[in-house]
Amino acid sequence: MPTRTETGGDAAAGTTTHTIVRHALPDRLFHWLSAACVLTLLGTAFLPILGVEFGWVTVHWITGIVLIVLVLFHIFRVLVRRRLGAMWVGGADIRDGLAVVGATLRHRAVDIRTGKYSVAQKLIHHAFAVVVLTTIVTGGLMLLRIDTPWWQRNPYLLPDATWGIVYVLHGLAALMLITMVMMHIYFALRPEKLLFTRAMIRGWITRAEYDEHHDPKRWQVDR
Amino acid sequence: MELFRVSRDIYGREVLQGMSWDLLWVFFGLGCALIVAHAAYRLLLAPKQR
Repeated sequence: MPTRTETGGDAAAGTTTHTIVRHALPDRLFHWLSAACVLTLLGTAFLPILGVEFGWVTVHWITGIVLIVLVLFHIFRVLVRRRLGAMWVGGADIRDGLAVVGATLRHRAVDIRTGKYSVAQKLIHHAFAVVVLTTIVTGGLMLLRIDTPWWQRNPYLLPDATWGIVYVLHGLAALMLITMVMMHIYFALRPEKLLFTRAMIRGWITRAEYDEHHDPKRWQVDR
Repeated sequence: MELFRVSRDIYGREVLQGMSWDLLWVFFGLGCALIVAHAAYRLLLAPKQR
């Protein structure tokens, strides 16, 4: 199904702009709420380690549950809308990636028009998916070790050695999130990527940006 | 620098407690290094884009 387009701006003033919806409102809400959760979880996890003392446990596990709900909502929405393939790394993406690497090594500019998402955007999505899923699965298990309104703690559910692996995976994923979040924010703020950041805030890109960055065969939109 | 935190159980066996939090600065430093490297490459070496 082609992506929806909209016309905005002020026709009387001659500033009409034809925009293309890149991220629908539910997807943008998912992104920003997930971002808030991840930052809260990183803060409540690592600030006490850095010496900032506060009651972090309750905020941490409640935020973790909110993140689990958000991720389940995202997976459900993707499956219902049959958009699982939107993030699939296909042959064209691999060719794009090789072209970028080749051009970088030969010190040449590269002119690639991607589908809706570039191979770099797909790979960072998958990296976040693996790392965040690791944190929420291991975090979900760790929730069983604390008292909540719904259950009493049960630290003996798993053997100590298995809990150790759960803790290592949870900690490693959290540490990886530090680097990944830093990189994600850096690229979001780079001048050449600001159109994608604006699209994640306001939802749209202009027709000119679409023509400049995207291959109409790989990302079909209404004309 | 340790990679893991370990303790001993009541039988004296080593029990894994998680990743060493010393690594916090490694991952933060890695993020800073990657950002600086990319920014320097784009500023100084990369050919100009369209």
